Amino acid sequence: MKRAIAWLALSATVVMLPLVPWIAPPALIQFGTTTLLIATLAQAWNIIGGYTGYASFGNSVFYGIGGYGTAIAMVQFDLPFGVGILLGGALAVLFALLLGLPVLRLRGHYFAIATLALAEAMAGVVSNLDIAGRNIGLILPLRKDDVLFYELSLALVALATLIVYWISRSRFGFGLIAIREDEDAAAVMGVNTTLFKSLAFMLAGFLSALAGGVHAYWITFIDPVSAFDITLNVMMIIMAIFGGAGTVLGPLVGAVLLASISEVLATEISAMASLFFGLVIVVAVIFMPRGLADLARRFRSLGWRYFRENLRLHRL
Amino acid sequence: MSLFLQIIANGILLGGLYALMALGLALVWGVLNIVNLAHGAFIMLGAYVAFYLFTLLHLDPFAALPLCMASLFVFGYCLQRYVLNLIVRAPMFNTLLITFGFDVVLTYLAQITFSADFRVVNPSYAGANFTLFGVTLPLVRVLAFAMALALTLAVWLILARTPVGRAVRACAQNLLAARLYGVDPRTVYGLTFGLGAALAGAAGDLYAVVSQINPYIGDPLTAKSFAISIIGGLENPLGVVVGGLFLGILESLTSLYVGSTYTDVVSFGVLVLVLIARPQGLLGKTT
Amino acid sequence: MKRLLFCAVAALALLDFAYAEPTITLGASVQMTGRLANTGRYYRDGYEFAVQTINDRGGVKVGGERYQLALKILDNQSDVNLSVRQYTQLLTQDKVNFLLGPFASDFALADSSAAEKYEVPMIEGGGASDQIFSRGYKFIFGTLPVASKYFESTVQAMSKLEPAPKAVALLYADDAFDVAVAKGTRERMQADGFRITQDERYSSNASDFSSLISQMKAAGPDAVLVAGHETEVLNFIRQAKSLNFSPKLYSFTVGVPTADFRNALGHDANFAFGMTSWLPSASLKDDYFTNAQEFAQSYQKKFGYEPDYHAASAVADVEAFVKAIEAAGTLDPKKVRDAIAKVDFESLYGRVQFNAEGQINLPQVVVQVLNDGVVPIYGQKGFQNKPVYPMPPWEKRP
Repeated sequence: MKRAIAWLALSATVVMLPLVPWIAPPALIQFGTTTLLIATLAQAWNIIGGYTGYASFGNSVFYGIGGYGTAIAMVQFDLPFGVGILLGGALAVLFALLLGLPVLRLRGHYFAIATLALAEAMAGVVSNLDIAGRNIGLILPLRKDDVLFYELSLALVALATLIVYWISRSRFGFGLIAIREDEDAAAVMGVNTTLFKSLAFMLAGFLSALAGGVHAYWITFIDPVSAFDITLNVMMIIMAIFGGAGTVLGPLVGAVLLASISEVLATEISAMASLFFGLVIVVAVIFMPRGLADLARRFRSLGWRYFRENLRLHRL
Repeated sequence: MSLFLQIIANGILLGGLYALMALGLALVWGVLNIVNLAHGAFIMLGAYVAFYLFTLLHLDPFAALPLCMASLFVFGYCLQRYVLNLIVRAPMFNTLLITFGFDVVLTYLAQITFSADFRVVNPSYAGANFTLFGVTLPLVRVLAFAMALALTLAVWLILARTPVGRAVRACAQNLLAARLYGVDPRTVYGLTFGLGAALAGAAGDLYAVVSQINPYIGDPLTAKSFAISIIGGLENPLGVVVGGLFLGILESLTSLYVGSTYTDVVSFGVLVLVLIARPQGLLGKTT
Repeated sequence: MKRLLFCAVAALALLDFAYAEPTITLGASVQMTGRLANTGRYYRDGYEFAVQTINDRGGVKVGGERYQLALKILDNQSDVNLSVRQYTQLLTQDKVNFLLGPFASDFALADSSAAEKYEVPMIEGGGASDQIFSRGYKFIFGTLPVASKYFESTVQAMSKLEPAPKAVALLYADDAFDVAVAKGTRERMQADGFRITQDERYSSNASDFSSLISQMKAAGPDAVLVAGHETEVLNFIRQAKSLNFSPKLYSFTVGVPTADFRNALGHDANFAFGMTSWLPSASLKDDYFTNAQEFAQSYQKKFGYEPDYHAASAVADVEAFVKAIEAAGTLDPKKVRDAIAKVDFESLYGRVQFNAEGQINLPQVVVQVLNDGVVPIYGQKGFQNKPVYPMPPWEKRP
């Protein structure tokens, strides 16, 4: 009975979401678009960080490449948006392949640092390219169609979630999980770790790039600082982790929850949003490092002891 | 030719400043395996302590060094003992996230407390310089360089020769064994992190004299300190000096021959290369 | 009992509604926190002060009715993306009538797209880059003088000095405003026959200028022109001192006229040249603030720090809206936009009038810091005071 209700609720949400622009006030569409885009990023991170266990601290590099690919195509070459965004996606995949190969050989936090360095280096490179408008950035053509951007973002997050769902049920996904749990054992068992890791990285990069392209066109502006923003990185990670990395719906839940609270704070008490964000990170990492998904599952049996358990496991 | 020498000298002195900044981060990372993304925020706090001591009590920045270091030490110790210790045995990635959280909170609190106005510490000798072999050397930077060397040596001595240092290294190598020998890891970790924070405080003190302070100077400094720690290698405290010098000279030369907008590309590009090709850094041993 | 209370409250509400003044809401997204907050506050305080003073003097007259001005300011935390979203929010959710701009050209560049998209006029007093106004947008107006002309008075003054500087170094930061300044300055200097020894672009927020300064020292220019931000200019001067670099003249786009900048440098600020499009003189009369000097004094008393041209520019923005709305006689955005394009009045900021692209045309006055104070040196009518040129080298300074 409970499962039936859950499924009903889920289906209702899925049907309602595309209709939001016609029911909701315009500000909600704005908020919705932003949230959906970052939910896409969280899901994309989920693929490489949650399932494969390679916690990338630099997914914003793909987001930025996607945005710049779209912007350069539209501004410098007068190409339509569809072409531009696919170009951005293709660039990101290429980048993920070429730079992924050496970087994916690193383990643990070295991988995280390397991806972080990549993002910073990329920002530096782009700020010196004339075609990208150097440090000033590019202004994209104006398109007043908030509904379009909302639906595009919705489509992206749906795509990302479907891909993650497919991963969770496929051999590819099992291979990724095996890599996460014990990479050497997985290799011994015959999993082509290099191939699988690279594919995961490219997939995550592709999705992030699409989100970047949509965002750039929507905001009509891109520059190196905002495109390769490290705070964005951490936001997508914390949303994925808060919701539950390695689950299908976790990142979505995390993104929606955290984005809502952040948005309320940003409009009411502007600067408090960043304080809230910082505190959420600290509290979440200490008390619920495995996210809401894990919390929901184990709370029934453990109750409030769940938080104490986490502390006990990880404290010195 | 003398321009080239000047550029190299600039690079060396810049390197000294960089080494001083990175020392705290490298210590905590190398010994405790904690990557402190709030390191720059600690430097920023140290700078503000120096600023207020200078402005309110007219205390010379070099005289204020022990105070800066002590206050940051206490702060770092408490942070480790009561907050960070809670996640030490969790996956490493969690420390990255939580220290990032600290960074955000500290920056926000600094903005509220100190306002976004930029401050400077301007003692009478701030612009003093002397010339050697046709090269102009700013006095404060030379002192910072000397300070970096002195502190690195001090850290090395503490770790290698004192009982506390031995306890720290024991915890880093084998926590269980250290416990069996009666070492209380919570205090030891607290002391180490506190020391790292104190070193950041010292860097902040000098940074205030060389540049200007505002709540947002932390992040670029953390990024630089990262690069230096990895490039130099985390196993050897002297690695930070080598890394700092390497990066300082490289940036100076880039500015001369390529263009000063490329310094970030170069720093992070080298970092990525080092991570890929020689992750143990310049001074690290190949295991 | 409850009923009585309810009736009382309802009555009060009705009364309040009956006496409620119709309002015109101006929306703005300003840097109140973040790395640009130091200058952003001039805009927040300038807008507030202007709105309050105009309301005190009777508000705005729109076709026979009196309106009060209201202000809705959001903090964009020095983040351009957030700023764009906030302007969209101000237009779609808060439904403000008109928009006031942010500080900084890169912000104005991005935010003006929101104004253009929704066809609501924005007057900004913080972005001078020509790029903002060269896209054919109709709904953006700016009260900062054209960026490419910032150094024009300085270059003019330089050619009149004895002995005139011949070799000039140009340094500029990597952002919309400074790149625009450099472009115009470069063209002007080439036209006037100066030899450019260095033409260097540096990363915004750079803190280390040692390499650039050493290179300049080796090349030995007579004059150095720097287009950058306050913190960069501060670092530049301090590092020039510590590397013992002292050209005959150096001039900066920002910082010099601002009080906290000079306080930070102390005596080291002396002899630096700068520019300002505004000085708090009693000769700049205003309909709401009496004159610029009075404005400066009351601003200082109210907010605790001296205003500079940023604050005056912000006040001019609000006044321009008021004049345009009164001239148009309506709150219709398109009609008000047309009225703004035709506006022409004297204010504490100077003469407010927009050119065809939407930018104001105010000449810069060259100033120099002498004896820890700002002295106007060269304006539209030539030399006002004698500058100290060449600058004494560091070791010979009093």
